[in-house]
Amino acid sequence: MKRRWLPLLTALLAILMLLTPVAKLQVHSSIAPETNVAFPESITLGNIILVGNDAMPVEVEPALGLASMGQWYLLAGLILLAAAALLSLVRRRGMLIASAGVTLVAALMLYAFGQQINNVGNSLLFTLLLEIQAWAWAPLVIAIIQLIVLVVFILKEKDGIDLSDKAWRRLGGLLAILAALCLLLPSHVVSVPETITASPADAAEINRTLSLLDEVLGKEPNLQTIAAEKGVFADVLTGDLAALEPYSGDATNIKGIFVIKTVTTAPNVMMIAGVVLLALALLLSMLPRADRWFAVCCEVLALVLVAGSVIGLMTIGEGDMFTSATRQLSKLGLGTLTFAPLLMLTLVLASALCGVMSIRTANEPYFVNPIPEKQRNRFVAVSLIIISIALMLAPGASYSFTKPGMNKVQTTVAISGAEAMVFSTPEDILSPKSTQGKPLYTETASKTGNLTDAGVAEIMTGTTRSFGIATWVSVAVTLGALLLLLMNKNRKAIIALLLSAAVLRVVTWLLVTLQMPKVMGSATGTMFLYASIPTLVFAAFFAWFANANELPKKYKLFLMMLPFLVAVFLFSYLPLYGWSYAFYNYQFGKPMSEQEFVGLKWFTELITNQGHRDNIVRVMKNTFGMSGLGLLTSWMPMVFAIFLNEITNVRFKKFVQIFTTLPNFISWALVFSFAMAMFAMDTGIFSKFMLGIGAIDQPVAWLNSSEHIWLKMWAWGTWKGLGWGAIMYLAAISGIDQELYEAAQVDGAGRWAKIRYITLPGLLPTFFVLLMLNISNILNNGMDQYLAFQNSMNKNTIEVLDLYVYNITIASGGTTLYSFATAIGILKTIVSVTLLFTANFASKKLRGESIM
Amino acid sequence: MTIAKRKEIKDMNRPRHIRQSKGDIIFNIINYTIFLLITLACLFPFYYLFINTISSNELVRLGRIQLYPMEIHLENYVQVMKIPGIMDALFVSVARTVLGTLWTVAGCAFLGYLVTKQEMWLRKVWYRLIIITMYFSAGLIPWYMNLRNLGFLDNFWVYVIPGLVSPYNVILVKTFIEGLPPSLEESATLDGAGYTRVFISVILPLITPILATLCIFSAVGQWNSFTDTMMLMPSGKNYTLQFLLYKYQREAQSLAALVRNTQDTNALANIATKQTSLSVQMTVAMVVTLPILCVYPFFQRFFVKGIMIGAVKG
Repeated sequence: MKRRWLPLLTALLAILMLLTPVAKLQVHSSIAPETNVAFPESITLGNIILVGNDAMPVEVEPALGLASMGQWYLLAGLILLAAAALLSLVRRRGMLIASAGVTLVAALMLYAFGQQINNVGNSLLFTLLLEIQAWAWAPLVIAIIQLIVLVVFILKEKDGIDLSDKAWRRLGGLLAILAALCLLLPSHVVSVPETITASPADAAEINRTLSLLDEVLGKEPNLQTIAAEKGVFADVLTGDLAALEPYSGDATNIKGIFVIKTVTTAPNVMMIAGVVLLALALLLSMLPRADRWFAVCCEVLALVLVAGSVIGLMTIGEGDMFTSATRQLSKLGLGTLTFAPLLMLTLVLASALCGVMSIRTANEPYFVNPIPEKQRNRFVAVSLIIISIALMLAPGASYSFTKPGMNKVQTTVAISGAEAMVFSTPEDILSPKSTQGKPLYTETASKTGNLTDAGVAEIMTGTTRSFGIATWVSVAVTLGALLLLLMNKNRKAIIALLLSAAVLRVVTWLLVTLQMPKVMGSATGTMFLYASIPTLVFAAFFAWFANANELPKKYKLFLMMLPFLVAVFLFSYLPLYGWSYAFYNYQFGKPMSEQEFVGLKWFTELITNQGHRDNIVRVMKNTFGMSGLGLLTSWMPMVFAIFLNEITNVRFKKFVQIFTTLPNFISWALVFSFAMAMFAMDTGIFSKFMLGIGAIDQPVAWLNSSEHIWLKMWAWGTWKGLGWGAIMYLAAISGIDQELYEAAQVDGAGRWAKIRYITLPGLLPTFFVLLMLNISNILNNGMDQYLAFQNSMNKNTIEVLDLYVYNITIASGGTTLYSFATAIGILKTIVSVTLLFTANFASKKLRGESIM
Repeated sequence: MTIAKRKEIKDMNRPRHIRQSKGDIIFNIINYTIFLLITLACLFPFYYLFINTISSNELVRLGRIQLYPMEIHLENYVQVMKIPGIMDALFVSVARTVLGTLWTVAGCAFLGYLVTKQEMWLRKVWYRLIIITMYFSAGLIPWYMNLRNLGFLDNFWVYVIPGLVSPYNVILVKTFIEGLPPSLEESATLDGAGYTRVFISVILPLITPILATLCIFSAVGQWNSFTDTMMLMPSGKNYTLQFLLYKYQREAQSLAALVRNTQDTNALANIATKQTSLSVQMTVAMVVTLPILCVYPFFQRFFVKGIMIGAVKG
């Protein structure tokens, strides 16, 4: 690919993109019945750039003027993108890198845009007015594509900037300090027009610019505090804002947001740790004698921490209804996030890259790992311990309170380890208030017992106290391990300490979850609490090899493999836990401990319950019928291949092969479209043809009938799979020794003799293997095909096992048969695995070769 | 090898039909005819759908379009693009195809490389644990509840993330890497390259043929999938084109009303280009097919290669 294509491609995509709709307006018909006509269909990116907020019909709905769509990010991002594309055309050294850098900044801008518009779309005021489309992310996708292309160019042309390793290092340090300075930039702006508040004073109080530092330290006063001090918020909602309530779906949310009690916003531990590391990196990169590996490590670690917290800062979620005033306002839909956190992230990223470059350009062997071998495992262990401690201080317990006698969760409050350690229990936990502003528990005892405010406060104080003590102990133990590790002491003691810290985390979790009475709601650990356990175990693992020459290869490989094993566990083995549903009378939404255990009831019901039995017999008949037809005709691809091989014209052969495999690559939904068109009752070509030759007298509903449905399904299956199935046999034919044919020719064998005595015996092993696999898959005929062709007329004869399970559970919307369906699934798996092993055993006996 | 010699070998391989017997000629005629018919049967539905989408909708409704298009127009395609949600569905379909393919191919390639490493701790155990998942499944409800519990319901990433490890693909990559000469990797290791570096610089360029095959299979699978959308997106987010097609087939009637709304009601719509539920459904089907039809001829050789590698294993 030539460089000049890049700007063209980007420009083309960008122009196309400007026309794409990113947001759709919608108005409650109860509010404005006529607005359907007045509102434009959708807002495109072009609209947003050209007219900003005015893109929206403010004259129809003034509230729309409040939404900040982030058009400046979009504009800046697109301009930078174009500049980067043009920059890549300059044929000078380093220009590609510069272009990639600019593209990266553009990508961050466009990310900020996408995030902002999505935050607005999900905010309380606008959630029902605006529907944000996935296309809002399209500019970011283009930027990423451009970035990838540029990186490919850079790698291909080996284009780089010539700087010495020392210069790279200093640059890295400089960028680190710049990144830290970003903390002083404004990160969050709220500007509310005076028109919507009761008095200008209110607007002045609401409007604010929060710096990143303030946000990170959580220094900003809560709305409630301001209200108490200045008495302004009591009537904030008396302006036009009140008129917006109906749009927000849950009007109480808007009001509720202003009556949330003071929540002390916890400092953002991750970000603070990241900034400390940045300072350390600066120090290390400026000291000439310091080990440069450590500077790089600090920068990379800072990158991870900053990235984690920046993503959190940029996203306005449900939890922000309970945090600082600015974030509450953003959740309401009135705030704008600035570019500062992303700028900081970019600078940290650049700093880390400079660090890596300084090592690359130093006179070291090319393949050397950034950290000296001796130190590597120790460094990893230390980092993991630091991360574990940070996780312990992060929000660890999440309390969900339910109103006595009701199931719906009313309030969810999280408490961080740091808070628990100073034994400060948030007001919301002591006497939780529902979001509707009414207290959950009252001084008078409720029906379920003595759930008074005082009682709740007592329980919750106890819970947070034990949480705090457990956190103190585990932090102390972990710090002890860290100290020993840094002093190079006995590693057995270190490992014992770390593992006991991991056990303490489990104990912490138990203390958090078990102390809360069920009638009040539930307590769970957060991801941070859970994550601290594996980090501690891994820290112990690496500490064991600290100061060893290198981690043994076998473990290194295992660690690389670990993420994949986790994925396999999560998506293939974890579902097996669901088999337990078959032994319970499973009811949706209840924890497993409250389900009713019924033993083998569902399995016996398969036989004893008349209704279930009839259905299963019918479904099994269909399954075996259709699978059986497939098995009976499984020789067809082989014959297809043999006769196709007899065709000597190579072009014709290729033509046939290409187009007979084509149907295999389209979905069953599409096949059904073909069927609908061709077999339509009076207009389809098949009906016309049959009428024409007089095979039928009047139009027949081919698809809406249950007649010969097995045959029809078999026919479509063959249409789709015949050519594809033949490929395997064609491959096998090409593997047959040509000399056999020549010898046969000499012996005077004809075409049929050659097929009979050479080709067919050569293909039989393949046929046998496929037949065995098909037999073991007899129950797994999938559901796509039958789902697409299913209708009320043919349902009885088309339902195969998989489809039946789907129909009685997810499709029906009811959850009463989940346990029954699970029982069927268990039996099916057992039968399938048994069949497979039997087939494998048969294959071993007959051919001395296994098929698995 | 000289050109002459090559030609000689080519001639040797070519079947010689110096004189065909009468039986041969009859056999050939029948054989060619049958294969021509089979190929036409495979192609005709595509053609039939296509001529029905570009012909006058009134004639289609009357069943007059059977073998060739009449009164050609492209209004169907223009109108289909205006259906609310269809551009989003296109975006989701493309995104899941691209991301899902990259994710699963990258994952299976690296995992396939890792499992060839004899020195890994308990390698056989892990390998078997991965492979055995090919032969059992927990069943629909446990699978659904698991994804639900993991927070994947109504989540776009459910299309991508669970596909990281596909045992069959891992086997294909592993078999392929085992067929490579080990000396290449050894020399890179002697130069000080770690496992990741060896994989990126040495192995990856060598296994591109098998990766191309995996890419195609995975991309086609992602593009064609519609049952997962149906089960895992209960609140109507992240619809894909294939699922819309399925939905339109089910809701043909309400769709016709929808289309009529988006058209200009004042102007007397031309009856030939007026949208019907059938025309919309067929046009969407055509839109879904086109990408496959476009890339298919270029990539066909990769499937054959991939199947043959699979066959060697079987």
